[in-house]
Amino acid sequence: MIEARGLSKRYGDFVAVDDVTFKVGSGEVVGFLGPNGAGKTTTMRMLTGFLPPTDGTALIAGHDVFGEAQAARRAVGYLPETPPLYPEMDVQGYLKYVATIQDVPRSERAPAIDRAVERCGLGEVRRRLIGALSKGFRQRVGLAGAIVHTPPVLILDEPTVGLDPIQIQEIRSLIKELGGVGDHAVILSTHILAEVEAICDRVILIHRGRKVEDAPLADLTAGGRKLEELFARETSRDVAAPEAPAQAEGSA
Amino acid sequence: MKRVYTVAARELSSLFVSPVAYVVLTLYTLLAGFFFLLGVVSFVETLRQAQAYQAFDFLQQMNLNDALITPFLGSMSVVLIFVVPGITMGLFSSEKANGTDELLLTSPLTVWDIVLGKYLAAAVFVLLLGVLLAFFPGMLFLYGDPEVGKTAAGVLGIVLTGLAYAGIGCFASSVTRSQMIAFIFAFVILLMLLIMGAVAELGAMGNAAWLEGFLGYLSVGEHFENLALGLVDTVDVSYFFVVIAISLLLTKAAVESVRWR
Ligand SMILES: Nc1ncnc2c1ncn2[C@@H]1O[C@H](COP(=O)(O)OP(=O)(O)O)[C@@H](O)[C@H]1O
Ligand SMILES: [Mg+2]
Repeated sequence: MIEARGLSKRYGDFVAVDDVTFKVGSGEVVGFLGPNGAGKTTTMRMLTGFLPPTDGTALIAGHDVFGEAQAARRAVGYLPETPPLYPEMDVQGYLKYVATIQDVPRSERAPAIDRAVERCGLGEVRRRLIGALSKGFRQRVGLAGAIVHTPPVLILDEPTVGLDPIQIQEIRSLIKELGGVGDHAVILSTHILAEVEAICDRVILIHRGRKVEDAPLADLTAGGRKLEELFARETSRDVAAPEAPAQAEGSA
Repeated sequence: MKRVYTVAARELSSLFVSPVAYVVLTLYTLLAGFFFLLGVVSFVETLRQAQAYQAFDFLQQMNLNDALITPFLGSMSVVLIFVVPGITMGLFSSEKANGTDELLLTSPLTVWDIVLGKYLAAAVFVLLLGVLLAFFPGMLFLYGDPEVGKTAAGVLGIVLTGLAYAGIGCFASSVTRSQMIAFIFAFVILLMLLIMGAVAELGAMGNAAWLEGFLGYLSVGEHFENLALGLVDTVDVSYFFVVIAISLLLTKAAVESVRWR
């Protein structure tokens, strides 16, 4: 459903994303894990076609995000790092606008909006101005906008950042629910390990623009191993150094 | 086309919930009222003096169009250089500031849908200004008999000027994330376009007649004046459409350039 083939992004001499390749299949919820500045947002922007890669290609549901932009974009629900909201609109009006520009047919718009409102728990704020909502609600409105056209692919950039623990729980269970539906693929970025453990089936670890790990969560935590240790080991290692897992393990 | 309309409708409804639209409309109407009143007062004064001096030839030639409506519309065309940037300043810059550019540019909308939709919203606002303005010379038809054609050509001149300015305002808004900078940038470009005509007329170009002609062509004033004098000519009318087309092409390029940074 989501495929990155050798994605790279350079800003001048600075390499923000370096030759990242992975696939996310139907029914998977993948955690895109990495410390701040690792290149998560940049990668997601390339997957959604917002940024062109310096090298490599991205495919969504088999469509090249630049070659077949329209088809690829229709298949994606994207929640950027800052939810893309218009403070002067009310929730209902915003979702209607998003549904319209996402090509939801007129007759299906009302039920699509009702469904998104219900799933994201926005019933009580439906007529409120977005600018007057709390951060938690705004995040949910962003998420509702990302799912209103029921896309098969969801790309969520740090969906729980800045929320309180209860809101985090709610958003996480919502994402889990969305990912649980058979033909959906979800990739969400985070720098929080607990989040990955709570909702993801698979982990892609990225550090300084490079993919350093890609494995099912179950494998990584097998035999009582901790995700923290992997994270600490991989992110403390200098990227320029050749891969030497044996050495690292020896010193641990 | 439907998508263009969707973008335009959202833009207009946002414009009308913000105070900017009302500030602009109020300011514009007040200034129009002020210039109109000034025009009427000086018209009456000229008339009185001409009668006092028994300048019958002069009185014969004096008419509402040349003595009142044309100068009034001229003043209002100058007012447009800060009114239109007020409308257009937020069109693209606020999308960047809100992060909503990421929604638009990853949706099935094309860049043209977005650019034309936003321009259409600004154009509707300019038409509204034109209707408001037409009301002032319109009043004169109740008390006198100005020429309909000449008056209509003048109002058309105002609307075309406003539409061209809206194109330039769109472009200014597309290169920054700050509404304030978008406003100032648009204002400066429009001021330069306005001044260009004066520079050409002053003959500051020495003996380079072609340069003088070129600057004259670029100047909005030159083309507006012809329309205000009732001369509807394809050269003048097409000038405004050329400005709009160039502005929108540049705007599209600027919106796309987000991707190349
Ligand atoms: N427009 C840009 N110009 C230059 N550097 C950038 C730009 N955008 C991001 N970067 C850099 O790329 C790196 C990766 O950023 P980002 O993808 O936002 O990381 P993450 O989302 O993992 O925190 C960071 O070091 C950031 O400073
Ligand atoms: Mg980020």
